[in-house]
Amino acid sequence: MTILQDALWYKDAVIYQVHVRTFYDSNGDGIGDFRGLAQKLDYLQDLGINAIWLMPFFPSPLRDDGYDIADYRSVHPSYGDLEDFKVFLDAAHQRGIRVIIEMVLNHTSDQHPWFQQSRSTRDNPKRDWYVWSDSDTRYRGTRIIFVDTELSNWAWDPVSKQYYWHRFFSHQPDLNYDNPAVRAEMWDIMKFWLEMGVDAFRLDAVPYLVEREGTNCENLPETHEVIRELRAKVDQQFPGRMLLAEANQWPADLRPYFGNGDEFHMAFHFPLMPRMFMGLKLEDRKPITEILQQTPSIPDNCQWCLFLRNHDELTLEMVTDMERDYMYDEYAREKTMRLNLGIRRRLAPLLDNDRRRIELMNGMLMSLPGTPIIYYGDEIGMGDNVNLGDRNGVRTPMQWDGGWNGGFSLADPEALYSPLMLNPVYGFQAVNVQSQKRFDHSLLSWMKRLIKTRKSMPVFGRGSIEFLYPANHRVLAYVRQLGRDIILVVNNLSSSAQAVELDLKRYKGNILIEMFGRNIFPRIGDLPYLLTMGPYQFYWFRLRRI
Amino acid sequence: MAEESILTDDFLRELMNVGEVDILVGVPTFNDARTVGQVVQAIRAGLLKYFPRQRAVIINADGGSKDETQELVRAASISDLQHGSNLPALRTLHCISTRYSGPPQGGNALHTIFAAGDLLRASACAVVAADSTSIEPEWLDRLLRPVTRDNFDLITPLYRRHKFDGLLVRNLVYPMSRAIYARQIREPYASEFAFSGRLNTHFLSAESPQYGESGNEFNLLVAAISGGFRIAQAFLGDKTRLDQPPSDLVQAMRQTVAPLFGSLERNFPYWSNDGQPQPIPAIGPVPELNLEPLRINRKRLFQMFTHGVSELRPVFEVILSPTTYAELQRAAAKSEDQFSFKDELWVRTVYEFAASHHKEVINRDHIIQALAPLYRGRAYTFLVENRDASSEQVEENVEGLCRTFERLKPYLLDMWERK
Amino acid sequence: MREIIISELTQAMHEIARSFARFLPRLAVMLVIVIVGWVIAYSLRAALRSILRLLRFDRLSEHAGATELLQKAALPSSSELLSRFVFWVAWLGFILVGISFLGIVGVQEHISGFFGFLPRLFAAMFLFFFGLMASSFFSRAALLAAVNADLPSPRLISSTIRVLIVILVASMTFEELGLAEHTVLVAFAIVFGALMLGLALAFGLGGRDLARRFLERRFVHAEKDEREDELSPL
Repeated sequence: MTILQDALWYKDAVIYQVHVRTFYDSNGDGIGDFRGLAQKLDYLQDLGINAIWLMPFFPSPLRDDGYDIADYRSVHPSYGDLEDFKVFLDAAHQRGIRVIIEMVLNHTSDQHPWFQQSRSTRDNPKRDWYVWSDSDTRYRGTRIIFVDTELSNWAWDPVSKQYYWHRFFSHQPDLNYDNPAVRAEMWDIMKFWLEMGVDAFRLDAVPYLVEREGTNCENLPETHEVIRELRAKVDQQFPGRMLLAEANQWPADLRPYFGNGDEFHMAFHFPLMPRMFMGLKLEDRKPITEILQQTPSIPDNCQWCLFLRNHDELTLEMVTDMERDYMYDEYAREKTMRLNLGIRRRLAPLLDNDRRRIELMNGMLMSLPGTPIIYYGDEIGMGDNVNLGDRNGVRTPMQWDGGWNGGFSLADPEALYSPLMLNPVYGFQAVNVQSQKRFDHSLLSWMKRLIKTRKSMPVFGRGSIEFLYPANHRVLAYVRQLGRDIILVVNNLSSSAQAVELDLKRYKGNILIEMFGRNIFPRIGDLPYLLTMGPYQFYWFRLRRI
Repeated sequence: MAEESILTDDFLRELMNVGEVDILVGVPTFNDARTVGQVVQAIRAGLLKYFPRQRAVIINADGGSKDETQELVRAASISDLQHGSNLPALRTLHCISTRYSGPPQGGNALHTIFAAGDLLRASACAVVAADSTSIEPEWLDRLLRPVTRDNFDLITPLYRRHKFDGLLVRNLVYPMSRAIYARQIREPYASEFAFSGRLNTHFLSAESPQYGESGNEFNLLVAAISGGFRIAQAFLGDKTRLDQPPSDLVQAMRQTVAPLFGSLERNFPYWSNDGQPQPIPAIGPVPELNLEPLRINRKRLFQMFTHGVSELRPVFEVILSPTTYAELQRAAAKSEDQFSFKDELWVRTVYEFAASHHKEVINRDHIIQALAPLYRGRAYTFLVENRDASSEQVEENVEGLCRTFERLKPYLLDMWERK
Repeated sequence: MREIIISELTQAMHEIARSFARFLPRLAVMLVIVIVGWVIAYSLRAALRSILRLLRFDRLSEHAGATELLQKAALPSSSELLSRFVFWVAWLGFILVGISFLGIVGVQEHISGFFGFLPRLFAAMFLFFFGLMASSFFSRAALLAAVNADLPSPRLISSTIRVLIVILVASMTFEELGLAEHTVLVAFAIVFGALMLGLALAFGLGGRDLARRFLERRFVHAEKDEREDELSPL
């Protein structure tokens, strides 16, 4: 099976986010690697996903989980080498799975040779590759992102006796994009990977590329210029490849990153995600509909990326103070769960391991307009370990079976890069792929059916969305449409049974066909359409006129 | 025979869409478009500020307004349908309005609100009058927080009133209900109050279907007292109403004195026992009286009193005992500056009226109407005696009257039994 | 010839005796009916008396003001009166039935006429009684309303209303009884019309000033009062 050449493949994609380190260890050193990942491609193909997003795997001191890069053209030795990567890439393509890798443009590790050179003396040729300053008062007013660890965006370098600029950790100095040499080199690196066959890049931390005095140093026009340049080159030399933006901004501020269809192909819809959780707790669809009402329309060849959880904390930057307090109180009672204006928990623990809620959230993920991303392990309902530092609680080893190390590695348990989950509820003996594969009613089997249904119709990825506003505020209902295909999605956000009347006059005469069981429901007539729903239940209906 | 429900089908459907709530605020209206907009906005602001996370609903029970009362209420709802609304609200806030079946009476409106509160399982309910233009968002907090947080079942209000405002309450309704039911509740007939879901359920299950009567709030109070529920009084603020003609005295008496007399009959076993008056906790500052000077036509009050005493002789002869009526005649014969309607005479008069009301010597409504001129005489005396009085002195006088009511309670019991 | 006269006389005597003999049993039956009727009427009266006491009929008639009237006329209480009335009507009915049984021609019609009259009699009594109640209720209501609205001469208004209603009720009763219907009707119309005309004239001409002052007091005076009398009793 080969990759279909479709310029808009990312609109139909179902993406699986995984860190190679966490997935499968083939050489018994306690750390997952590419050979192991390649071995598990069958599982992923079976699950139904058709794109993998790999977390950073370049050489790195790993002080920020690989986002501090020390070499852009290689693979961290723990995960294998470039050859292993190529083998994995080909194997993925053979199974019809595309590969998206991380490209951290904004900064490097302070261990990167470039920085080592840059800081050595003031007149080093690479001096200007980073942003240096005599005082730490420039660009005042720029917010600090890692508020729990950093006190300033400037760090003092004792070697060259100047301050250098870093929007993230102090060991991640920002590259200077005003320098054309930097831009040329970064393109060269991207070309390197594109020629190897990588299908897309997730460009990390793009809002912060360029700094200017008197601004908040985010989303500046110069930054957009850099991106337009990159995109033009990609389109010219590697058509069909995709650029995905990681920019944690309000939807209105995100819109410029799509440009006129000449910047990013996709961007994460960050503000939607916490509101889905909020709507679930409030049992009120208002937070969800309001954020989507405020979401601007994007060019036809662009797409939003939706997700429930990821490797980072569930960020609450893009909510009001009142909403943040509410989320903290409802979802993160213990202070240890809170980090950097967010909540560091996995999907299942956030939802109290409630199967119905997990299904509902996944159902919304798969039916709202955008490309869905599944975080590894959430398809079997893995738990988290809040006692691990930073965000590592959600990055524990993948649980394959109930045996040695959960089937992740043959090494000693103490040698694993991270401890396994052991408690009776989320431990690897309770939650693992092997046992879930055996049963039709397991979460894994259900996810497979969900993904299959989603992929069966392009309307989910490419169609329009129109909200219905039934008087019962606990029900979120919307219609997806693409050409003649019309899908009605109804979600009950409440923990109790609900009755809802939908105004479907526009679709009068259509028969509703429930998409999972394929049973027919009454035809739409003149009266409002009455549906009764169980707790957290959702329906996908196909409208058919015969 | 199937009982006709006070809830229409449409309203029931709207309730279904609201679902279970934590807080319900009811606003009875009838042609209140002038003031209801402001009141509902204040309620909404109070809910958003003090109870942002609770599920709440504002329910308007309307008697058939011909103006835009109902539209004004509905416009205050917060939902995702109003694109671009900038209110910082976590949740949807439904504001629904219904026209209850039956004539526009306070009793019907209240019954609608009670029923809605029961169906929606609201743990705290409040009722706010549609013409309370002095309402502040804080009132919601003061009324509802004792119910939601401190487990009180009924919160009656305390207002900062003018010295001469609410004379009927101060001279009759308050002292008598305090003596009868042994609770010092200053505003037994309140237009703003709050109650718990527990009390609501208890009240609805016990109440006989006579909801058309006014005075349901008083019946609720009596139910709370006799049921042993926790009651408190919360200070709200000024009690002012929009400039409008003063409510007809007879109508006011029908709304307050008639339910009071009526409740005596229903609750006889409860109040016929001796009870020591229990103080009711007051939340918030104790209100001072507003001592602004006010021009009042006292002369007319006196005239209507004397006029009534003589003209209504055939009626009084049936209602009052001969001695009491003779005393009244003697008092009425005095000149204006010598006239004084003493506490003791007033209390005995009222008690005899209550007993006659119970025995239904003539039509009960006529009994209430007959009391009006006598009350005017009493009001005259009150105005004269307190013309230059300070807050404390007025309080003392009212306290004195209360004690007289308490002291003469056996007299009422005696009259009650007598044929 | 003497034998013929004697035989005719004897025959005639025999006839009289025979018809007398035929008459006697009927008389006996009639007497039995009358006695039985008395017993029934008596028990009816007793029963009615207890029923009326249960229904507290006396109280009702007090409300109607009927008791007052009866006392003034030195008659017994209304329930007693009613019971006795029923007794007499019932017994009279039985007597009439008995008489009809005697077979005296011509009496039948009148007797059935009597029984036809009874329902109307009761209807009229009913009407009169409740009419009295209404008059007392409305006159009192008017009195109270007038006093509370500070109208002049409330007692006059109250009595006027009572008298008007009583006259109306009396006319209706007579009409129901069928006694001099037209006369009463016309008389009533004349009285009522004259009263109305008189009032109109009074207001329009002679009572101009009074009317003006009255209206002023109703509307203008009330305003002044409102401003000063701003207290709400609640």
